[in-house]
Amino acid sequence: MAFQGKARPGVSVGIVFAAMANDSDLGARLRGGLILAAGAALLLYALWPWLPVPGRPARPRTVVFYGFSILGEAMNQAVLPEFARQWRQQTGERIEFVTSFAGSGTITNQLIMGVPAQAALLSLELDAERLAKAGVIPAGSWRRLPHGGVVNRTPFVLVVRKGNPLRIHDFADLARPGVRVIHPDPLTSGGANWALLAEYGSAARRFPDRPREAGFQSLLGVWRHVTAQAASARAARTQFENGFGDVLVTYEQDVIKDAAKGTLPGEIVYPPSTVLSEHTLVIVDHNIEPSERPLIDALVAFLWSERAQALFVQNGFRSVDERLNAANPHFGVIRDPFLVGDFGGWQRVKKEIVDGIWKDRVLKEVGR
Amino acid sequence: MIGNAPGQRSRAAIPVGLLVLVLLPLILMPIAAVFVFALKGGPGEFWRAFTTEDAQFALRFSLLIAFFTAVINAVLGTWAASVLSKYRFRGERPLAIAINLPVAIPTVVVGTSLLLLWGPIGLFGKMLEPLGLQPMFTPAGVLLAHLFVTFPYMLGSVKPLLDELEVTYEEAAYTLGAGKWQTFRYVILPALRGGLFSGTLLTFAHSLGEFGATVMVSGNLRLRTQTAPLYIFAQFEAGHVAEANAVAAVLAALSFVIFFFLLRYSGGAGNAKR
Repeated sequence: MAFQGKARPGVSVGIVFAAMANDSDLGARLRGGLILAAGAALLLYALWPWLPVPGRPARPRTVVFYGFSILGEAMNQAVLPEFARQWRQQTGERIEFVTSFAGSGTITNQLIMGVPAQAALLSLELDAERLAKAGVIPAGSWRRLPHGGVVNRTPFVLVVRKGNPLRIHDFADLARPGVRVIHPDPLTSGGANWALLAEYGSAARRFPDRPREAGFQSLLGVWRHVTAQAASARAARTQFENGFGDVLVTYEQDVIKDAAKGTLPGEIVYPPSTVLSEHTLVIVDHNIEPSERPLIDALVAFLWSERAQALFVQNGFRSVDERLNAANPHFGVIRDPFLVGDFGGWQRVKKEIVDGIWKDRVLKEVGR
Repeated sequence: MIGNAPGQRSRAAIPVGLLVLVLLPLILMPIAAVFVFALKGGPGEFWRAFTTEDAQFALRFSLLIAFFTAVINAVLGTWAASVLSKYRFRGERPLAIAINLPVAIPTVVVGTSLLLLWGPIGLFGKMLEPLGLQPMFTPAGVLLAHLFVTFPYMLGSVKPLLDELEVTYEEAAYTLGAGKWQTFRYVILPALRGGLFSGTLLTFAHSLGEFGATVMVSGNLRLRTQTAPLYIFAQFEAGHVAEANAVAAVLAALSFVIFFFLLRYSGGAGNAKR
């Protein structure tokens, strides 16, 4: 560029300049060719998988499966490949799974906006209700599936820094001054809603004479100390791993594998009483062609088969079949586990606890 | 730069040093960190993270989208620029402003409005639904978002050149018997070369890194609509820092190369008009 600035075609340098211009013409052409070649190489690389190269197998049939955040590894690496293997054994046909994993609320919104998912595993029955309300699936259709649509479970636990320096043993301990809590956002995360129920329910069950007040106080204590809200349970865990906060409220499944391997930057604390989250499968009929029906039906049946349930247990989820849970020695003991059914089901919990107490009273009190 | 006396150089040492010191944590170190973390596990680990099916798809998908965006917007942008610079009409300024708006609107807002327009509940979406067409959450949706977001770059690179280009050249070409296409091919196009080059590269580079609008309209489907930036974000969120950084480093390196070409050659080509 310095050259460009200096070289002004004047009388005295006219001849020299003409020669240089000629030379730089050649250079420009060379450069142009080089840039073109680089561009073409990049394009070839980008297009490669779609080019009709002889000997390449035909593209397999695809199934689009959406799931909430912590399911990613268990589905992509264990359950879905196992189903693909069995299906190929039975029919000789190759299938490929196109998957997306994000906060349950995010997935639900995407389903309402029309993503082509054929089946989705949500962390919260409420999200299934929202889908039904939006007309994506028939109302209550998931309840006609095995176990009322619940594929697997996992309890809500606390993760603290190594050695538990703040000596946290229960949700009530999060109310102590100076504790910084990392919590997923109840707006987009199904897990966060379960966490709310765990925080409320553990106190409500301890004080059966005044459950609402005890639950409110418990929620208030936790939420005074929430310092970061991530969009999904997975994202909350990543924040905690990156050094933020003292305590993380999350699914046991999300941390149990790393805790067993010793790679979790913290340790799991089992509260004496906590909720077991239940994860609901929905089938999106209008994204399923009639010819794909048998494939999807087989996939649905497979999810509740002993093989798939055992794989879930291996990956840290608790099976709906209690007998299989002994296979994972790392599962912790919870003295008083409870289910959302103990509090009247999600519609009631949403109205009375999430909206009625957490949103209307707790958030107002803590000034968010 | 070139004619600096030695005295000037030594006087520059303090302000330049200060500038570098301030820019170090702001700009230079974050860039370095991507590469340091990408190679932390050794080249084998980098290669493993880089060659996973998902990573390769995401990178290729991003490149293809960037190619298409650059080509389509090169044509659209040049056309828009020629219309805007040739004709004088009422409402010219408002139109010019509206066309340039995409650079000013937050990309997330672009994504949301595209969803609301083309999604199943939107104006276009409702019309397409009975035909079984649904552009959102497909590669077409991603392309739409990128076309929107990068549209002004081509216009901005080409229009100033067209404005400068004197009508007399064009008229002279006509008088010499050149047809419309010949005039464009041999008179206008050579004058625009520099602008076309930098506009296309800018469009390509921006499309390669686009995140805000893409995250809304792509549905983030691995092996289908997950672009490289979305892949990086998803992997990082899931705690897979090595996977995220491998692709991030390659993406950053690609941007450097593009930027290098842009700085090195587009200035020269732009001056080539003389």
